[in-house]
Amino acid sequence: MISLRHAMRAVLAALVLTTASGTEAAAPARLKVGVTLHPYYSFVTNIVGDRAEVIPLIDADANPHGYTPQPADIVRMRSMDVLVVNGIGHDGWAFEILDAAGRRKDLPLIYANDGVSLIPVAGAPAGEKVVNPHTFIATTAAIQQVYTIARRLGEIDPSNAAYFRDNARRYALEIRKLRAQFDARVAGADLSKFRCATMHSGYDYLLQELGLQVTAVIEPRHGVEPTARQLAETIDRIKAAKVNVLFAEKYFASKLSDTIRQATGVRMYSISHISSGPYTPGRFVEEMNENLATLAQAITDSAKGAGPAPH
Amino acid sequence: MTAAVLEQVRPAGSRIEALALAVATVVIACLLALWVRSHGRAEEKPRLYEWQVSAFETLAGADQTIYNALYTAKDEIVYLYDDINMMNGPGQRFRWPALQDLQDALLPPFYQDRSWEQTGSLQWRLHEPLSEGEMQGSVMYLGTDGQAPGQGSFLLVIGHVHAGFRNNNAIMIWWNPRNHVEMPQSGFRDGLILQGWREVVPHSGAAEVERIFGEDVPGPADDAAKADEIVDDLFGGGQ
Repeated sequence: MISLRHAMRAVLAALVLTTASGTEAAAPARLKVGVTLHPYYSFVTNIVGDRAEVIPLIDADANPHGYTPQPADIVRMRSMDVLVVNGIGHDGWAFEILDAAGRRKDLPLIYANDGVSLIPVAGAPAGEKVVNPHTFIATTAAIQQVYTIARRLGEIDPSNAAYFRDNARRYALEIRKLRAQFDARVAGADLSKFRCATMHSGYDYLLQELGLQVTAVIEPRHGVEPTARQLAETIDRIKAAKVNVLFAEKYFASKLSDTIRQATGVRMYSISHISSGPYTPGRFVEEMNENLATLAQAITDSAKGAGPAPH
Repeated sequence: MTAAVLEQVRPAGSRIEALALAVATVVIACLLALWVRSHGRAEEKPRLYEWQVSAFETLAGADQTIYNALYTAKDEIVYLYDDINMMNGPGQRFRWPALQDLQDALLPPFYQDRSWEQTGSLQWRLHEPLSEGEMQGSVMYLGTDGQAPGQGSFLLVIGHVHAGFRNNNAIMIWWNPRNHVEMPQSGFRDGLILQGWREVVPHSGAAEVERIFGEDVPGPADDAAKADEIVDDLFGGGQ
C-alpha cells in the first residue's frame, strides 16, 4: 500500500503542477488584486496600471487598528484572485475574513514583507526584541515590498510580468526621489541638536533609514497607553536626554502627547501612519512626502534651537 | 430562652462528590497539558552558524541601517546591470554598475546624502573581476572606514559571475566588525570567513510569517502539499 501511496503522490503532484501551470497560462484577463492597507493600494495600482483591478478589502474610512470584519468584506474577498497582505501585523483581521469567506486554502496571498529585513521596535525593554510591522512607513522597506509584490504578481500573471517589473522600478525611483528632496530640505542643517521621541514605534523604519535615532518611545506597546509611572519615567528620560522633538500620529488625536509636550517643552510634529482616508494611487507618495517635509522641518527647527511650537 | 444547637449536616454523597470533583479537575488539567504539548510550538530562533550574524539580533544603529539598505540594493543592482548591458553587442564586455551609476540611481547605502553622512559616510569601492576568461569570479562592493562609533565594514558579493551571465542566487552580504578592511582577493566564502567576515542573515518577513502561523500559513499549499492532501483523503492519514 505504501508504494501505491507514493506512486499516487507522485502522479498527483505532477497533475497538480500541470494544473497550476495551466492556471498560470490561462490567468484571468484582468486580475482582481485585493489589498488590506492603504499603502498597498498605492503600491499595487502603480505596479499593475490598467492591467488589473485593485480592490481594498475594507472601507476607506475604517481604522485598520483593531478592525472588526464586516459582511461586505467577505463579499469583496470572494471576488478576489489574489490578496496582498502585510502579514506581520496591522491586518490580522484579513485572516478572519479569509476564514469567513472560506478562502484560506485557495486564495493566493502575497506577503508583501517576504523580502524585507525586519527591525525590532525602538524603546522596548532592555534585551527584548519585538518585530516592528510598520514596514510601510518608510521608503527602502516600501520599495522592497513593491518589488516583492511585482514579482509575485508576475508569477500569477506571467504575460504582464515584464510590465509589472518595469512599473515597479519606475515607482521605486519615484519613492527614492522623495529621499533626495528631503536631503535638499535639510542641506546644511546642524543635526547634532536633534533629539527625538515618538508616541509609538510606527516611524522606526523611516527614522532609521534617515540615520536618525529615537531616544524614547512613549507607548510601551502600539496602541497601549503607558501607566502613570511609565509616563513619569519617560518624561524624566526625555528631559535628561534633552529631547526637543516629539513625533505623534497625524490622524489619531491623543491627549497624552499634549501632556508630554506641556511637561517637557518638546516641539510636537505629526507624522502620518498612512492608514486612513481615500484609497488613491498617489496616496503613499503624497503622505510620505508630507512626512519627510515634516521631519525636515523638525530638524531645521531643532538646529535653530526654536522653542516649543504651538500645536 | 433555649441554648442554640449547632449541628453540621453533611450530605450522604459528599465524599464521593469531593472525590469526583478532584478527579475531574485532574483529568481536565491532564487533557489540557496533553493538548498544549501536542499543539504548542516552541519559540525557536533560527539557528546561525559561527560564521553568520543576525541583522535583527546583533546589528544595531548605523550598521543595521546600512545592511537593510544593502538588502534592497542587491536586487536593484541586478536590475541596473540589465539596463547597462541591455544594448551590448557581440563580444562587448558586460560590466556591473559603477559607484557613479549607484549615485545616479539615488541608491542607498551608496548614495551620498545626509542619511549617508548620518550612518557613518562609509567609503565604497567596487571590485570588478577581470574581463577576460570564461569565469570572471565575484563582483564585490566594499564599504569601509565608517565614521559612526563602533562601525564595522560591509561587503556585497555577487558570486560566480560568468561572462554574459549573472547568478543572482549567489548574492551575499557580509559584515566585518573591523572599521577598516582591505578589499578581499576573492569572494569565496571560506576565505572571507578566515579574514573575519560574517554573513549577515536577516529576520525576513517570510521568517516572521512562518513564526506567526507555523505550518498553517494561509494561502494555497504548494504542489507537493496539495498532492499529500489528496493522497491522505484517498488513503487516510499516516503512512
